[in-house]
Amino acid sequence: MNVLPNSDGAGLRAAARRGLRRGRDFVDETPPDALVTVTVAAVSLLAAFAGFLAASSLTAVPFAVFLVATGYGWLRHQELTARVLTLTTTVSTILVLGLILVFIFAEAWPTVQYATVNVFGVPIPGLRLFIETRWSPVTPPIQYSLVPMIHGTVLVTIIATAVAAPLGVAAALFLSEIAPKTVREVVKPGVEILAGIPSIVYGFIGFTILSPWAADQFDIVGQGTYLFVGIVVGLMALPTVVSVAEDALNSIPESMKSGSLALGTTDWQTMTSITLPAAFSGVSAAVLLGVGRAIGETMAATVMLRGSPGLTKPLYNVFYGNDTLTSLIAANYGDADGLQLSALFVAGVILFVTVLFLSIGSQYIEARMRQKLGGAD
Amino acid sequence: MAGATKSELVSEDTSDTEAVAAGAVGLAAVLFALSLAAMFELVTVTDPIAGVPMVALLGGLLVLLGLAVIGFGVGSRLGYVATNPRPTAGLVASGAFALIWFVVGGLVASQTLGLGTAGWVVASLVAGGAAFAVSAVPREDIGSTLPAGARAAFAGIVFLTGVIGPSWVWDLGWEQQASFNAEFTIPILTAFCSLLVGWAAAKAYGGFGARGRHIGAYVLVYLNALSIIAVLFLLVAFTVLKGLPGLFNSLAFGAGVGPEVTLVGVTFSLPVSWPFVMNGVALLNDVNGVLPAIAGTIWLVIGAVLFAVPLGVGAAVFITEYADRGRFTQVVEIATNGLWSTPSIVFGLFGLAFLVPRLGNKKSLLAGMLTLGFMLLPLVVITSRESMLAVPDEYRDASAALGVTKWQTIRSIVLPAALPGILTGIILGVGRIAGETAPILLTMSGSVAPPGSQTVDVVGGFQFSLAPPFVTNPELMRATSALPYQLYSLITAGVGQSSNIGAIDEFRWATALILLVVVLGFYAVGIATRYYFRSKLQHE
Repeated sequence: MNVLPNSDGAGLRAAARRGLRRGRDFVDETPPDALVTVTVAAVSLLAAFAGFLAASSLTAVPFAVFLVATGYGWLRHQELTARVLTLTTTVSTILVLGLILVFIFAEAWPTVQYATVNVFGVPIPGLRLFIETRWSPVTPPIQYSLVPMIHGTVLVTIIATAVAAPLGVAAALFLSEIAPKTVREVVKPGVEILAGIPSIVYGFIGFTILSPWAADQFDIVGQGTYLFVGIVVGLMALPTVVSVAEDALNSIPESMKSGSLALGTTDWQTMTSITLPAAFSGVSAAVLLGVGRAIGETMAATVMLRGSPGLTKPLYNVFYGNDTLTSLIAANYGDADGLQLSALFVAGVILFVTVLFLSIGSQYIEARMRQKLGGAD
Repeated sequence: MAGATKSELVSEDTSDTEAVAAGAVGLAAVLFALSLAAMFELVTVTDPIAGVPMVALLGGLLVLLGLAVIGFGVGSRLGYVATNPRPTAGLVASGAFALIWFVVGGLVASQTLGLGTAGWVVASLVAGGAAFAVSAVPREDIGSTLPAGARAAFAGIVFLTGVIGPSWVWDLGWEQQASFNAEFTIPILTAFCSLLVGWAAAKAYGGFGARGRHIGAYVLVYLNALSIIAVLFLLVAFTVLKGLPGLFNSLAFGAGVGPEVTLVGVTFSLPVSWPFVMNGVALLNDVNGVLPAIAGTIWLVIGAVLFAVPLGVGAAVFITEYADRGRFTQVVEIATNGLWSTPSIVFGLFGLAFLVPRLGNKKSLLAGMLTLGFMLLPLVVITSRESMLAVPDEYRDASAALGVTKWQTIRSIVLPAALPGILTGIILGVGRIAGETAPILLTMSGSVAPPGSQTVDVVGGFQFSLAPPFVTNPELMRATSALPYQLYSLITAGVGQSSNIGAIDEFRWATALILLVVVLGFYAVGIATRYYFRSKLQHE
């Protein structure tokens, strides 16, 4: 521990000592049979989890022990058992995120390793996935390039954001600042229901109505355009932007707005010069979350796109739609195995990590804004 | 400031000019509606309306509208119309106009005049710069009307002179062919110009200045809200109209017409026969139905709720009531928010990698339930936590003052008070997962059109044995269908796989409708619950 600066080391040690003391106090204060019950429950649950991980047929045994132990604990020591149970549920929530990370990374690894390239003698795993431009999992030369799908996802996301961001922020302004109460009572559930329409229904309408119409309007060969997938996905991301941006706008203290209005400004002047600037970070967090939704949207893209990985020609040709990362997974998981399946997991990793960063980024922005507006939290 | 500008409190003489501006706004709205109708081919651009060809009509109206707005601006500048303009139209408006005219200049130079790259760049810069100067330098009344009106008038002249006529086509010349034709370009240009002029006219109606900007902006914001609701209404109405015939095909009421069911040992026939929701797909069926998919969806939702709700509520209780605010609660919050925004297909991949190999190595209903449970979990945590935080601390303090333990406080005070919020969150979350396709696609999807005999019967499927794993349920362990997956497979299925189904289009739309009804039903119940409890709280 001598790597750490002195103060940190001391702090850590103090924290550890405090933790130990608290632990010892807990053991001292708790009746022994309660302690035993909780320990048995914890150990058996861990064993059940390990059994499940190992796909053992005996998983049911420790799980039954866990149930019996918690049942006993619930009857005799409800206070402690409730606390431990809720702690367990909390830990398992975090565990789910951890498991997702571990499992999709583990499944993705073979292809990443397969696509290793030596740059000046330094092996860089996975580089070949991004420098080739051909997805060809069956016909040699076998290549698992994700570039066409990333290109598709980027195009769709840009178009979707261009639709969802301005319309969503305007709708949020409308709901939070402009609309009379009766109108808001109609529009707000409407926006929520827009979020409720299943993505496959959007996709179905896009597939049967929009795609043929677009093919006809733009004299395109075949059906499936990034442009209209982007518009549909933008519509689906719209409710996310609206609700998060509306929360941000609502969090601006009424006194700030009243102060501005008291100076004789119009409502619109107050919005553009007080409310929007003050809520700017919250609104941008909303847009970030909307972008995350757009990136991860699967079914509409799968149904409406052509499913033939490749770059459009020229690259900014949005009238052709080949494949996105999400639609690649949904359309190909069935007949994929080995490295190809693993390549689909790489696509999943890219999606997961990108959206996770967007989510964390927007949470950070929101936390900053809350701090700024509300003082110390 | 009160005496700085002299303005009449009651401005009677402006009512005529206000009427002109209001008329321009109205005309722009008509034009916008007309262009939408043309875009969706309710009227074609070659159709004559009242003896005038559509293109000429649109062009004429655009010129008229443009000139009216310019006239209003010039009239205001010359003092014929009483307004309160600012010294300039503002940077945002100027920038937007510059961009619009930059595009116009470039397109005219490169496409109509056929100039090369250097030519169109120069033309674009000249047009954009001129528009910027015109809108930024003069007073606001000129600056916000002239570029907009000129844009509309220019588009109108282009339509009237036939530069963009009914047979106009612009082949983009890309390697993958795509082109703009008149049937798309004319309506979209008209719609854009009418929005632009409508905004300028609304500003003029408000007499420019702060009030004008206020009205101009409100027109656009209201239009935006209106169009969102219109799109929602169109989507739902369209699905309902297309789906109804298939949904109620051969619906019959009467004693004994329905299929036989056995309840508590008594067998009787249902008094209603609704083939679409009571049949599977079979060669000999008169009307094919989606019963297995409906049963699958119901069981999926039940399984996901049983898995996610105890976990989610428990986690919310711990981080809200037990844990001190600090690193740990922060990590939990970040993790739940991260899980909430994780794409559904990633959950599917996770189910494929984690659950499928451990649950009999094949797709199964149970794997689908758990995958959707993972998706539901963060939603339950977030909404439960929010509604527990909303319970006032006074409640907790009062309970603690009575000397009861923390868990008793939680159980008898916090949870009951937070229950409405938790319920609403769960219902809305269930609505969301009931419509999810991607996760179950990878974890539980079965055949394209399952026959009625494949309807899952989870309750009857439990088997107990003395050998490990002691409890088995083959119904849970086999692949089945669910409504969203059924719709997806019907869309993507080849002709051969769906040949059992006669009227495939009707069948698809009816499936889409019943999915929509199920999901929006959950949403309606959730939203209604929220309103009910909110109004109850307000009455207290």
